[in-house]
Amino acid sequence: MVDEEDPKEYRWETGYEKTWEAIKEDDEGFLEASVADIVQRAKRKRQAQKQPNTKLGMMRHLYIIIDCSDSMSNQDLKPTRLLCTIKLLELFIEEFFDQNPISQMGAIIMQNKRAERISELAGNARKHIKAINNLNRTSLNGEPSLQNGLNMALKSLKLLPTHASREILIVMGSLTTCDPGDINITIDMLKAEGVRCSIIGLAAEVHICRQLAVETGGTYNVILDDSHYKDLLFQHIEPPPAAVCLESSLIKMGFPHQMVVEGTEEPLTMCMCHVDSTDEGSKLTTGGYYCPQCCSKYCELPVECRVCGLTLVSAPHLARSYHHLFPAANYKEIDYDSRATICYACQKAFGDTDKNIYRCPNCEKIFCIDCDIFIHETLHTCPGCATNLSLFQNHNSE
Amino acid sequence: MADNGISSSHQVNSVLIQPANLECKNLYDYLTTRPPTVLERLYNHPTICLAVYRELPELARQYVIRILFVEQPVPQAVVASWGHQAFSKEHVYVSKVLTDLFVWQEAAIPGGLPGWILSSTFKRNLKIALLGGGKPWSMSSALDPDSKARDVAFLDAYSAERWECVLHYMVGSQQQEGISADAVRILLHAGLMKRDEDDGSPVITRQGFQFLLLDRQAQVWHFVLQYLDTVQQRGLDLAECLTFLFQLSFSTLGKDYSTEGMSSGLLIFLQHLREFGLVYQRKRKAGRFYPTRLALNITSSQAKGAPVLEEDAPKGYIIVETNYRVYAYTDSNLQVALLGLFTDLLYRFPNVVVGVLTRDSIRQALRGGITAEQIIGYLKQHAHPQMLQTESSHTLPPTVVDQIKLWELERNRLVYSDGVLYSQFLSQADFNVLREYAQSSGYLIWSNKEKRTMVVNKSGHEDVKKFWKRYSKGN
Amino acid sequence: MNNVTPANENPTEFSSADETSLLVIILDTNPGQRILRENPHILTQCVDSVIAFANSHLMQKAQNKLAMMACHSKSSEFIYPGANKPLDIRQIDGQYEIFTLVEKTVKANLAKFIASESIALTNESLLAGAIAMALCYIHRIQRTKPPGCKLNSRILVVTGSGDSAFQYMSYMNVFFTAQKLSVVIDVCALDQHLSLLQQGCDITSGLYLKVPQLQGLLQYLLWVFLPEPPIRPKLVLPPPVKVDYRAACFCHRELIDIGYVCSVCLSIFCKFSPICTTCHTVFKIPGPLAVKSKKKKIKL
Repeated sequence: MVDEEDPKEYRWETGYEKTWEAIKEDDEGFLEASVADIVQRAKRKRQAQKQPNTKLGMMRHLYIIIDCSDSMSNQDLKPTRLLCTIKLLELFIEEFFDQNPISQMGAIIMQNKRAERISELAGNARKHIKAINNLNRTSLNGEPSLQNGLNMALKSLKLLPTHASREILIVMGSLTTCDPGDINITIDMLKAEGVRCSIIGLAAEVHICRQLAVETGGTYNVILDDSHYKDLLFQHIEPPPAAVCLESSLIKMGFPHQMVVEGTEEPLTMCMCHVDSTDEGSKLTTGGYYCPQCCSKYCELPVECRVCGLTLVSAPHLARSYHHLFPAANYKEIDYDSRATICYACQKAFGDTDKNIYRCPNCEKIFCIDCDIFIHETLHTCPGCATNLSLFQNHNSE
Repeated sequence: MADNGISSSHQVNSVLIQPANLECKNLYDYLTTRPPTVLERLYNHPTICLAVYRELPELARQYVIRILFVEQPVPQAVVASWGHQAFSKEHVYVSKVLTDLFVWQEAAIPGGLPGWILSSTFKRNLKIALLGGGKPWSMSSALDPDSKARDVAFLDAYSAERWECVLHYMVGSQQQEGISADAVRILLHAGLMKRDEDDGSPVITRQGFQFLLLDRQAQVWHFVLQYLDTVQQRGLDLAECLTFLFQLSFSTLGKDYSTEGMSSGLLIFLQHLREFGLVYQRKRKAGRFYPTRLALNITSSQAKGAPVLEEDAPKGYIIVETNYRVYAYTDSNLQVALLGLFTDLLYRFPNVVVGVLTRDSIRQALRGGITAEQIIGYLKQHAHPQMLQTESSHTLPPTVVDQIKLWELERNRLVYSDGVLYSQFLSQADFNVLREYAQSSGYLIWSNKEKRTMVVNKSGHEDVKKFWKRYSKGN
Repeated sequence: MNNVTPANENPTEFSSADETSLLVIILDTNPGQRILRENPHILTQCVDSVIAFANSHLMQKAQNKLAMMACHSKSSEFIYPGANKPLDIRQIDGQYEIFTLVEKTVKANLAKFIASESIALTNESLLAGAIAMALCYIHRIQRTKPPGCKLNSRILVVTGSGDSAFQYMSYMNVFFTAQKLSVVIDVCALDQHLSLLQQGCDITSGLYLKVPQLQGLLQYLLWVFLPEPPIRPKLVLPPPVKVDYRAACFCHRELIDIGYVCSVCLSIFCKFSPICTTCHTVFKIPGPLAVKSKKKKIKL
């Protein structure tokens, strides 16, 4: 963990230094190509930083703490800080569960020196999005209390098993916090429990926030504008490296499958998730997922069996996370020398506009820059390696 | 009617009702108005079958392909069971289209059930188009390579120049040479232009303006249909021309085709198409011709100018801002002139024109007979790629679109309906009785108690008159 | 009387007439497939059926696009449009010129492709890789399409080989990518039941069909796979089957109901072991009991 402050941490001190020097006009005097180039380069750089085979905290338990004090009504983000945050969080939650399907999330708001939990730790994206959307109607008033927020999150994160990765993400609009006690004690407790706290500041850098992030191994960033905000938020979608104190263990899980007997109609049954609620979901249905241990029925996965405590998932849920662990190999950038004529994956013919082409170190196939980014950001499988049996087997047996 | 004190007078409103708008037929409308024997003859050509197939509704296309390889009639109940219950309305519609076009016919199945069977000519020729067999459409296979082959860019420039020549002529721009008397005759026939009452020179009509605002594909199709109307007077064979037209429509851009084996009638037809830029020929007797983009997929006007997945398709050039400003990146006089129909032009630079949409400019266009839909359609069709890139589903700013529609509605505060005026009632009681009657039967359009006047609609006139006769006799 | 031109009220309006539809067909040409080993001539029949199907797709709408790939055990290649310059085709019979071009190109490229392959008899084709290539291709088309153009893309896999768990990860990656790009994956199985690819169909809401008899391949293709996803709800098509989403353990590649998952790398094992074979993590010894007691705490 970093103890001393890095003097070059500020975004405005490093990131955009003399960016105009990198921008060059193309033959027709347009800048677009050059700007697109910078964006692509940044993406590649981030990609290259990812280290394969580092231990990642895959079973994430994340609390989002949202500042709902009156500073969030500021209009420096359009239309207001809060509405902009709600919009981005919606996208974030969806993407988060898409990429981390067996993880759980909860949300807390800070307002009027109090903290209030608006959704419990759970793995259902829809519930959280609904809760976040309801924030539209809350009145923003008072000051936030960082300590109360952290304490509330810590109380529920403490109870988690040791193999779970615990995280807190704070969206802070206010420059002040009004706490009932010494926040340093809370920070020490968080550190002891291995909770990683990250903060996104919407206004300006605050010392206590930086201290919190540095102490607990999280990140602290202040946004420049809404697109930068989105960028920072979405960096939290990738699972972080596992904390040192994180224990690893084998977790028993059930893989339910539908019980279908050919030719017979399924009986109408009640699912366990809706058994004691009266809202629209509680109906007798056919179909569903049955716990392989105790045969209770659930209508959605992933879920924890209410009867026997077994975690029920389906294989694709796990598979969605595999690419974090087994990313496609980084391609090597080489100069375009007109020997390779087309991109192996998308069949694009290379022309003079392609300055660089990219070669996979395993299968030695050549790709264009767009495919390089697409393959590493979305597909996570090298088409060259995956269509070659000998390489494929090597790669798999590693 | 003076005997019983009532005079009724016909009010002819048709003069007030605006003249008919430009009527655009699609291939389906066109073919259903042809007699079945003509259709049967047309289906002898794989090209026409292919064109008709593509014009069918999506569901109908699935039906046809499902029974394409079936030799016996298929029970109607079976065909109906292919679609979901919820879409049975569409099924009925689709069956009607297929029957109207004689693509399939009713046939009894042994056992008495009604069934459908594909028209054998249609089936045979569609199969040929899909799988091969039969005779080639033209004699192009014997053609040796063109020593001066033309590329796609050249053909595009050529066709655009030819077609714009026609449009320029219509708006009366300077470039009037290069259009034949024949083309003028077609424009007049189509009602796009009419002879000026004073000097007999052709001037553009209301339909003509609307025609100008259509997208290019629709313009060509409309024009060709009008041309086909006159084909028989020219002594050409309609079926032959249609076949050739669709043959062109299914040819490949940038390839040359041979004129060998074409009848003299077709060669004349080819020269006409050449004039409008649908085909390119170096010389009249060159023996080969190149179809241009205008001729390709001539019937697919239903796409409504939606961008297609072609790398070299023409790009839009108009940007509309929420402040009603219009920027058009163009140097074509024609496009500027068209834009000038409904915008106030502010500045003109070598490659861009700036204008603004105002109430006056739009109303002027509306008075000229252009509809709001057409203005919006035009702006949408030629929207600059930047406009299309925006995330929202609207290409144009919704406020501008709504405002243009409102400006149009402003002019439509009057509702016209044909009616018959009843007046000069002798007593209030008479008036009341008749008004009661007309009102209860739903014929009454308007009435005024003080003036003892009422208007009933035309269809109710006979009925009301009879009632009045009965009533006045009874008294 | 309003002078707005009445909208065309007929039901054609609610079809997707102005959308472009891109179909990528992946044809498994691996000679190691059981059906091809027994009767090599079946390949010709399959290729003919698939070409006729591809042309039917192009016949639907003038805007429709097509790409075709051949997939082998060693490599996959685009056989239409193909990397080379398009063939110069003159019409030889009554067939639509473009259809002739498709047929000739596919056959020429396929012959070249098969000749270049050394004959290695494995009965597993690397379909996941082929789908990955197809997705890159679709992604490029989507990226470079003119703005405002609507594009529906789908992939049809026609294969007679089996699917085994060793491509599992690649399969899952391509399925989720397809889902993200909203590309529909349809699968036509010629010989064996393909449980993994069936999962892909389920994830991307495509159709899965195991052809009962090869003779009628073209008819099956036309009936089931020709309708594009937007009009599929209007037709009665094979109902989606219940898909078995059980996991296969990493140690024996067997489907299991209850297993153990490594908290670090999410590998699945059918028995408890002290060290994870994938990421070499050493686990705490307390077995399932301890885990269970902790699980209970969460519920509090």
